[in-house]
Amino acid sequence: MKKFFKILLLPLISVSLFVLVYVQDISPKLGLDLQGGISVILTADEGTEQELIEQAVEIMRTRIEAFGDVQEPEIAISGENSVLVQLPGVTDQDKAIEALGTTGLLTFRPVLDSSLNTGYSPALDLIVNPDDPEDVTTVVKEGITGVDEVIGVSITDNPQFESYILSINSGYPVIYRLGPAELTGNDIADAIAVFPENEWIVSLEFKDESAALFTDLTKKLANQNGEQRKLAIVLDGEVVSAPGIAFDVDPTVGITGGTAAISMGNADGGEAANNLAIILRYGALPVSFERSSIEKVSATLGEDTLNLGLQAGLIGLIIVSLYLILYYRSLGMVAILGLSSFGLLFYSVISLLGQYQGFTLTLSGIAGIIVSIGLAADSYIVTFEKFKDEIKIGRSFQFAADKAATDAWRTILTADFVSLSAALLLYILAIGPIRGFALALGVATIFDLIFTRLYTRNFVPLVSGFSNNVRFYFPIKAKDLLND
Amino acid sequence: MIKRLFLGTTDINFINVGRTFYKFFIIEVILFVSIIILSTIGVLNVNLSVDFTGGTTYQLDAEYFDTDIDEVMNSKILDVSRYQTFDNSNSIIFRATENTQEKETEFLFYLSNKFQVPDEEIDFQRVGPTFGEEITEKGLQALIIFLSLVVLLISYRYEFKYSLIALVALTHDLLLVFCIYVLLGLEITPSTVIALLTILGYSLYDTVILFDKLKDSIKTSKFSFLSVESLNKTFNEVLMRSLNTSITSAIPIASILFLGNYLGLSGTLTDFALPLFIGILSGTYSSIFVTVPFLSKIINK
Repeated sequence: MKKFFKILLLPLISVSLFVLVYVQDISPKLGLDLQGGISVILTADEGTEQELIEQAVEIMRTRIEAFGDVQEPEIAISGENSVLVQLPGVTDQDKAIEALGTTGLLTFRPVLDSSLNTGYSPALDLIVNPDDPEDVTTVVKEGITGVDEVIGVSITDNPQFESYILSINSGYPVIYRLGPAELTGNDIADAIAVFPENEWIVSLEFKDESAALFTDLTKKLANQNGEQRKLAIVLDGEVVSAPGIAFDVDPTVGITGGTAAISMGNADGGEAANNLAIILRYGALPVSFERSSIEKVSATLGEDTLNLGLQAGLIGLIIVSLYLILYYRSLGMVAILGLSSFGLLFYSVISLLGQYQGFTLTLSGIAGIIVSIGLAADSYIVTFEKFKDEIKIGRSFQFAADKAATDAWRTILTADFVSLSAALLLYILAIGPIRGFALALGVATIFDLIFTRLYTRNFVPLVSGFSNNVRFYFPIKAKDLLND
Repeated sequence: MIKRLFLGTTDINFINVGRTFYKFFIIEVILFVSIIILSTIGVLNVNLSVDFTGGTTYQLDAEYFDTDIDEVMNSKILDVSRYQTFDNSNSIIFRATENTQEKETEFLFYLSNKFQVPDEEIDFQRVGPTFGEEITEKGLQALIIFLSLVVLLISYRYEFKYSLIALVALTHDLLLVFCIYVLLGLEITPSTVIALLTILGYSLYDTVILFDKLKDSIKTSKFSFLSVESLNKTFNEVLMRSLNTSITSAIPIASILFLGNYLGLSGTLTDFALPLFIGILSGTYSSIFVTVPFLSKIINK
C-alpha cells in the first residue's frame, strides 16, 4: 500500500494541481506572439546607468497606466541598456507609441537670446541692400553651424550645446537661442498644478541633490534682464514653456529650498498648468531611447500559431505514446502515465507562474516544451533498455528492475545536468525569445529528474513483480531474449 | 535483423565501420570548410533575416496575382528587397530595408489598400541591426561558457580525451545544420540561433548517455581500459536506444513541421523546428558514427 502511494504521489499531485488550476480558471499567460499585440525594444546608449533605465521604466509604466486601454502591459529591462515594452492586444501602432509616451529628453536651459529681441532668429544676420532698403536677405552668422538658412533654427538639437529652437507655445512663433542644458527631468522630484489664489501655478520640487544646481542657475539668471532672465523647459527639442525668473528673486541668493513656482495665468482653467505638471512629473524620460525593434503580431496569426503548437504537441505525444506501448508494452504504460502527469504538471505550473510571477508563455516556450517531450520520453527509454540488458544476462526480473532503475538514475542525472546547465546559461545570458525557451527547458529538465527519481525508479521495480513473462514487457519471445 | 537490433545483439564490428565512417567524416569536413569559405567570399549567400540585417517585414493574408507582387516590388515608397509566398496559403511576406517611420507607415497603408486588408491585420516588424547582433553575441557567449563547462564535466566524469570527442561530434552537428541552411538558401532567424543552441544540448545529452554506457561496459569487461570488445559491445547495445530516442524526440518536432506546412503557417515555430529536426537526426548520427572512429583511435594508441 505504501509502495502504491509512493508511485502515485506524483501523478496525484499533478492531477490535483491541474484540477485546482482548471477550477480556478487559471490558464497560461500568453505572450504577445500568441495573442497578438505590439512589442517594442527601446535601446539607450551603451554605458547608460542602470539606475536611469530603471527610472525610465517606472515612468513608462505610469504613462501607460494613465493612458488606459492597454491590457496587461509589460515593461521590463532586457539586457544592459534595453527596455522591452510589450502591449498585448494592441495592434494600432500609433496608439501604442502614444501610450509609451514621449520618450524624449526633458531639459532646463537658460535663454541666451530670442527673436523677441531681434525680430528674427538670433542665429541670423540681416543684410540690407544699400541700394534698396526693401531688399533684405538673411545669412547665418559666422561661426554658427547646424542651423537652417531660411529661418535660422537648429536642424538637430543636441542639449549639450547651444541651439536655436522655434517655439509656438506662447501663441506666436519665437526662436530662442538656448544655452546647454543645466538640469534634466531626472532632477525633478515632483510637480503639481495648483490654484492658490487668482491664478494657476505649477509647483515644482527638485530632488535634494539637484536643489543647489537649480539655485546656482537661478542666481545667474536673476542677474539678467529681459529674455535672458528666462529659463526654457525643453521637451524633445521643443520649448514647452519659458518662464522668466520673478523680479523679486535676489541675484545673490537665487531660488533656494529646491522648490519653484511657475505662474501659468488663469486663461484656460488650469489646462496648461496641468499639462506642464504632467510633462515635468513623468512626461519625459531621463534617458533617450532608440526604437531598435518594433514587432506587430495580428491576433489571428497569434491564435493560429498557438493552435499549431498545441496540435503539434498533442499529436507528438500521441505518436510517442503509441510507439512506447508498441516497444515496451506494460512498461510503455508506465511511461505514458508518467508523461501525461508530466504534461499536466507542466501546464499547471506554467499557468501558476503566469498568474503569480507574470511568466508569459511565448512561442519559443512552446518549442521548449515540445522538445522536452522527447527529453522526458528518453529517460524512460534509458531505464527500459537497461532493464532489458539486465534480463538478457540472466538476472531475475526483480533484480534487473532494481538495478536498471538505479543505474538509469545515474545516467539521467549526468545527462540532465548537461541540459540543465545549458538551460540555466541560456536563461542568464539570453535576451528576449531565448529566455522563454530556456525557462521551459529548465523547468522540464527539473521535472524529468523528479519523475525519474520518484516515479520511474519506484514504478519499474513494482511492475517487474507483476509477471515473469518477457512478453509482458517486450515484444519478443523469452527464448530469443535469453538464449542469446 | 530487427530482432537483433532490438536485442542489442547485432554484431557490427564498429572498428571496421569506424574506418569507413572516418573517411566519410573527412569528406564532410572538406565540404563544411569549402561551404564556409564560399560563403565568406560571397559565392554562397547566407540568408540572414531582418533581425540581423535591420529593416522591416510585412506579412499579410490576401488573394493576389503575380502582377500585384511585381507592382509592390516596384513601388517607390520603400526599397523592397525581397518577398516570399507560400504554396499552401495566401500569405505574402515583404521585406524592406530600413527607412523612416513615416515611410514605413505609408507603405503599410499602401499594402492595406492594394490587397484590401485592414491595416491592423498586417503583421509589421521593424528591427534595428543591433538586435540580431546582440542575439548572436549572447549566443556566442553562451556557447563558449557552455563548451568549457562541458569539457570540465566530461573530463571529470570520464576522460579529457572523451570531452574532445564530444566537442567534435557537437561541432559536426552545428556545422551540418549551418551548411544545409547555406546550401538551400534558407533564412537564418534568431529562432535558428536558439535551435542551434538546443542542438548543442541535445547532441551532448546523447553523447553523454553513450559514454556512460561505455564506462559501464569497461567496468564489467576483463580489461580496465577501453578495448575493442567493450567498444563493440557498447555500440551494438546502444543502437536501439539511440534509434528509439531520436524517433521519440523527432516525432513532436516533425509534427510541428508537417502541421505547419499543411496549415500554411510559417513562423517562429517552424523556423525553430526545421533546424532542430535536422540537428536531432545529425546528433544521433554523430553520437555513434562520429565518435566511433575517434574512440577506436584511442584504443590503437
